Amino acid sequence: MFRNNYDNDAVTFSPQGRIFQVEYAQEAVKQGSVVVGLVNKTHAVLVGLKRNAEELSSYQKKIIEIDSHMAIAIAGLASDARVLSNFMKQQSLGSKMTYGRPIPLDRIVAQIGDRAQTNTQHYGKRPYGVGLLVAGVDEAGPHLFEFQPSGLTHEMVACAIGARSQMARTYLERNLDKFQDCSRDELIQHGLSALKETLSQDKELTIDNTSVGVVGVTNGKKESFKLYEGQDTAALLEVLEQRESAGAEGESMEVDS
Amino acid sequence: MVEYAVKAVENGGTAVGIRCKDGVVLAVEKIITSKLLKPGANKRIATVDRHVGIVSAGLVPDGRHFVSRARDEASSWRSTYKGPIPTSAIANRLGGYVQAYTLYSSVRPFGVTAIVGGWDTEAELPVDGQVGNGPKSGSGGKVEGAKAGGPGLYMIEPSGLYWGYYGAATGKGRQAAKAELEKLDLSSGNLSLADGVKEAARIIYVAHEDSKDKEFELEMTWISSVDGPTKGRHEEVPKEILEEAEKAAKRALEGDDEEEEDKGEGEQMEE
Amino acid sequence: MNHFPEAWGRPRNDVYGAYDHSYLQTSGPKAHTSSPAVTGTSVVGVKFNGGVAIATDNLASYGSLARFSDVKRLRNFGDKAMVGFGGDVSDMQYLDRLLDSMDIKENYSHHGNMLNAKNLHTYLAKVFYKRRSEFNPLWNHVLVAGFDGQGEPFLSSADLLGTTFSAPHLATGFGAHLAVPILRRKFPEGTPLEQVSKEDAVEALKECLKVLFYRDARSADKYSIAVITKDGIDLKEDEQIQGQSWAFAERIRGYGAQTA
Repeated sequence: MFRNNYDNDAVTFSPQGRIFQVEYAQEAVKQGSVVVGLVNKTHAVLVGLKRNAEELSSYQKKIIEIDSHMAIAIAGLASDARVLSNFMKQQSLGSKMTYGRPIPLDRIVAQIGDRAQTNTQHYGKRPYGVGLLVAGVDEAGPHLFEFQPSGLTHEMVACAIGARSQMARTYLERNLDKFQDCSRDELIQHGLSALKETLSQDKELTIDNTSVGVVGVTNGKKESFKLYEGQDTAALLEVLEQRESAGAEGESMEVDS
Repeated sequence: MVEYAVKAVENGGTAVGIRCKDGVVLAVEKIITSKLLKPGANKRIATVDRHVGIVSAGLVPDGRHFVSRARDEASSWRSTYKGPIPTSAIANRLGGYVQAYTLYSSVRPFGVTAIVGGWDTEAELPVDGQVGNGPKSGSGGKVEGAKAGGPGLYMIEPSGLYWGYYGAATGKGRQAAKAELEKLDLSSGNLSLADGVKEAARIIYVAHEDSKDKEFELEMTWISSVDGPTKGRHEEVPKEILEEAEKAAKRALEGDDEEEEDKGEGEQMEE
Repeated sequence: MNHFPEAWGRPRNDVYGAYDHSYLQTSGPKAHTSSPAVTGTSVVGVKFNGGVAIATDNLASYGSLARFSDVKRLRNFGDKAMVGFGGDVSDMQYLDRLLDSMDIKENYSHHGNMLNAKNLHTYLAKVFYKRRSEFNPLWNHVLVAGFDGQGEPFLSSADLLGTTFSAPHLATGFGAHLAVPILRRKFPEGTPLEQVSKEDAVEALKECLKVLFYRDARSADKYSIAVITKDGIDLKEDEQIQGQSWAFAERIRGYGAQTA
């Protein structure tokens, strides 16, 4: 069960200066189903692959709206994510209440980062078993942050976490240059394409297992967070299919010439 | 345990601080672990109050915890003394805080070594909230021409141990960086802030030589005297100056390689 | 000398009346500040095309005594906003330190998410309201000047009760009675902001301060004025009211040369 002597709790360093409990928590993130996030100059997009425990059960929510300007996508323990999202909702509401200002993204991300760090330095606590992608807009424009159980947070231009997320990251790295100036709808499509990369052979993106969240700002006007689920995703998936078939043709043509 | 925590530090990106005659420079090497990271974001040098900066090597979240404590200390100092905390005092308090985390089995030590740089103002500041001045004449306890303030640089280790430094380095490339710092003769107090910025950039580049295959971003901040470019505040080094320093650093590195090859030629030229 | 003060005697009851013990209540409900001590008088502010101008005099009174003649009642919040304080000076100092600590926190990161004047006003009003709800009010009436989230000039007031009020021109304290009518005449209701120049606004403030100095016994003729535009804050703290004429006072009984 234990890898060695240094992994019983989160307050023990290994002789190499590692904290195994935190690394195990990171494992929990890798077991969660995949979520992808990406930003360009105007929008931030989250897409997620929902899982159901069994055929007849409902799907686990992957994208949670925090406020009209921000949402998170989760990979890992959903119950830990709920603790964090409740905290974020409170902070966000607090900022609107006291200053009349939507909370800046870097602030709230730093706050959950600090909370997670505390769990890695005190005996009797355990690290959060969840990774988050935080997407939203503030005065400085759209942002995407990655949050890890260690308390590490990074601002990203695109990111994917969860099972088989490496495939999505590869897609994102390859298409990085295309995001920056693309339209809102194209950004969503890039997100879906990245998500699709992670699927195993027998799986498909359907209106039941796909979640899409978008928030943005165009010409100084804020576009509130919108979540697409179920039937709402049908149109998006249709476009994806068209693009893929067109893309496949395009590629083969290139090969011909 | 503390020894193991030090191991965590030894693998962090190199961080250096230089105490110059008219300011302090902080610099850190940020290894780019992914192409998807937003360039220029993800700052690693933090501002505490207005006049203090902290850079750390080791576990980044622990570094953030450390900074958050530093900010609390600075703010509590202000609420007691109605003025900015001296760099020496904040280093002392943080040293005590870090040490406390080595005392108990319920917590683990900090996995960071932090460099704290600051400028204690040499000007006479109004007390926070001061609304005006009394009459120019009359009783008073001022000593004419008394000099106060100046640069401060401290490095705090996971054990809680801290020293004041002329030049401090920590993280992966600290050995190379220390060797370079020692060449600068900082104790004589002649290095200017402007030159310090260039040296700090160069030292980060030198220290990076051992892990050359990895790309990195250089982040630098500075704190000048009250009549200097930052007016006693801790700020990012402006983009133009940073780029200039990076260019010079790259040139210096290339120069080092060429020097050895060109030696014979150079001697001939002199004749 | 007798070192027991109680044996020194006290002002004679037949001359001064019995001592009023109501000042030294030791029983009854706990009371916080129920009156201000050292006070500043009016604050005046006017919005103009592209910014806001705000002014106060430099006096802090102790009751009717002109106690401190060099008191800066215009306080800046970073380089974004100005707050003009009327009312208790020590409460002003408390709030100034509060704003200072907020400004420090705002500058930990600089990614373009700075609190603007409107955010600041929202916050200050909440502070006032919280304190008055604790029956421990901060005895001030403030004007907050700067820009809102849309980059439009912003001017609004908040008082010790947490009441907020906003208008193109505002004044607190005595100025609410004496300066506002002047400003309303100068800039009638419905005047578009585009038609009010910076010079008009500054001129109007100076005139208001002069009238206030004539009629408000707790005012002074040294003043501070701040003009806030997109370029920043232009703050002058050592100004003097110009062109005073006290000729009219000659004819006022109690001021002039009349002896009876």
